Amino acid sequence: MRKFLLAVMLCFVASGAAFAADDVIKIGFYNCLTGQNAFGGQLELEGVQLALKEFPEVLGKKIELVVVDNKSDKVEAANAVTRLINRDKVNVIIGTYGSSLAIAGGEVAEVGKVPVIGTSCTNPLVTQGKKYYFRACFIDPLQGAGAATYAYRKLGSKKAALLVDVANDYAVGLANFFKQSYIKLGGEIVSDMRYQSGDQDFTAQLTEIISKKPDIVFLPAYFAEGAIVLKQARELGATFRFMGGDAMDNPEMVTLGGEAIEGFLYTGFAYAPDMKEMNPVAKKFTENWKKAFPNKDPNGNAALGYDSFILAYDAIKRAGSAEPDKIRDALEKTKDLPTVTGVTTLDKDHNPQKDIGVLEIKNGKKEFVGTIVPE
Amino acid sequence: MSGLNSGDKKLRNNALTIFSAAALAVCLWLAPTFIDAYKVRIINLIAINAILGLSLNLIYGMGGMFSLGHSGFMAIGAYVSAILIITPDQKQLMWILDPISPWVMNLQAPFLLSLIAAGVAAAFFGVLISIPVLRLGGDYLGIATLGFSEIIRILITNLTPITNGPLGLKGIPPHASLLMSYGCLAVMLLCVTRLMRSNFGNVVRAVRDDEVAAKTMGIDTFRIRVLVFTLGCFGGGVGGALMGNLITTIDPKMFMITQTYSLLMIVVVGGLGSMTGSVVGAILITTMLEWLRFVENPITIGSLNIPGIPGMRMVIFSVLLIAVIIFRREGIMGMREFSWGWLLRDAKKGGAK
Repeated sequence: MRKFLLAVMLCFVASGAAFAADDVIKIGFYNCLTGQNAFGGQLELEGVQLALKEFPEVLGKKIELVVVDNKSDKVEAANAVTRLINRDKVNVIIGTYGSSLAIAGGEVAEVGKVPVIGTSCTNPLVTQGKKYYFRACFIDPLQGAGAATYAYRKLGSKKAALLVDVANDYAVGLANFFKQSYIKLGGEIVSDMRYQSGDQDFTAQLTEIISKKPDIVFLPAYFAEGAIVLKQARELGATFRFMGGDAMDNPEMVTLGGEAIEGFLYTGFAYAPDMKEMNPVAKKFTENWKKAFPNKDPNGNAALGYDSFILAYDAIKRAGSAEPDKIRDALEKTKDLPTVTGVTTLDKDHNPQKDIGVLEIKNGKKEFVGTIVPE
Repeated sequence: MSGLNSGDKKLRNNALTIFSAAALAVCLWLAPTFIDAYKVRIINLIAINAILGLSLNLIYGMGGMFSLGHSGFMAIGAYVSAILIITPDQKQLMWILDPISPWVMNLQAPFLLSLIAAGVAAAFFGVLISIPVLRLGGDYLGIATLGFSEIIRILITNLTPITNGPLGLKGIPPHASLLMSYGCLAVMLLCVTRLMRSNFGNVVRAVRDDEVAAKTMGIDTFRIRVLVFTLGCFGGGVGGALMGNLITTIDPKMFMITQTYSLLMIVVVGGLGSMTGSVVGAILITTMLEWLRFVENPITIGSLNIPGIPGMRMVIFSVLLIAVIIFRREGIMGMREFSWGWLLRDAKKGGAK
């Protein structure tokens, strides 16, 4: 028995060490493939893998993807990036869902001097003051302002309420930016209710909100909790509309929410598989996705995974070299790059100025309403 | 070695301890130049996990108090230290939700002082909580301490002007070098060893094994338990501070109950009540988690191609843990401790004992 176990272990070790080739360009990928954010990380990985299939080579060398899981955990995220840089010696890194994880990983990348392209880490702190962190997604201040602009200008709402998960950095940040913009536009916040991640019963907060009669409720939640909130609100007879952020963009949401999420609006990345005016990159992405995953719709996260890869690919091509520092310099100069979620130009803080999409759930399906320019 | 009398043995043991500690220090000092940053990081994490494991072991293993509140004390330590060493300019940039309170912004201290402050703050809360809670025993104590750590986490989440709320802190200066972490571990090991070998140690063990008997002997058992609990909290605070310094960013979600579970795992796998066990447990669990990553890579055996399965690592890790608990319930070290006498005698008898 002991010998058998030893043999099995040796096999593992041997296979673990079996890869070593100099003529490849390595792209590292760290993301939440397990743990509480796995739903986002998985979709982003599939987006990256799709892009890799399309662009398997750059500068005449094969691209190799090294995937490392961060378990949705900060310590693991820092370990994962250290591993990618020092052990796997990757040239550029893509990741991750979850801003707090990206902040932990970013500190390591800064020391290791390898550029990282963030997929959907939308908090401004991720790239703030960082030389090596970039991102493919817009940032929360922009998204919050976009949502406020849409709610105030397009929907004509004057009174908004907030329902915020205070234990979630993303929700608190986004709600704050929405609030600032909405007040600046001339609107009024009539109620600011809170809950904690993992709560199941929102009736107390919802009853309070209903009594204040808002025109719209801003709910920057993750899709699982968001769906429960919407269900309970309908049961309580709420008639106002709900609006959310990009974290609600998940194919599962409709299954979870059912009837209750009909008419739900959310801001997100300017991509949906059934949008009418699609740019050529998005068209190609959608076609390839349908071929690769016939039973699954792509979403914003998948598109951002794909876009991050395109950003890396483009930078390596322009740099003419796989040296991390040269890729970094090229990334900084990214300009007018066509990507799935719109044309990408990185500003001096390494954030793209992207269109913000507005999506709506209609007849049990998400529909792309249009893009909005935040005021 | 049987020819040596006890005084000579003591001298020999001390010499061996000093010599091996010096050798280890030299190795650690040289390590960053010879091995890559990834391994350095794992080695560093081992020291921090060992400090945390040791401090929990002091409470649970040696003091016999089942505490599930360790992540709360870690959080206190991590936040106190981080706030003291982040510069005011950086703080100004970070508080984007609510403005930072001015006194927090201007708080500054050198790293070592911040480390001690972290420990003291955690110990202070330790005293505060232990006086009402240690009247409970067994499972009740576990639940009460668990509740306490949740309170701490929720307070940190909501005290935005002081803690930056759920956004957490970033850009903590990376002071937790290898020498620093192992230095702290060495100081802690030394203190705990001296303590447990002294009469105080006997008293602590007596209280753990039979509180009624200890009380009959005239021991103020309550005072002893509060003292041990507080010492453990001090270690938790220091460990938390070092952890924050290692990964340079902290947020309240880091200090959920799962953090306490992983420490419990270190303590139980190593051996409840054994200092050596906590260190061994920390080495084993920290390295295993990283080393097992290869099972998630795509594997090619001959012509067979297995795609990587994320999460596979945790499956195998859990199976190994179950195996340890089934075949060695008392943990790897049991209650035994490492000593030079044990090592040398063992080596002579060919490992049999």
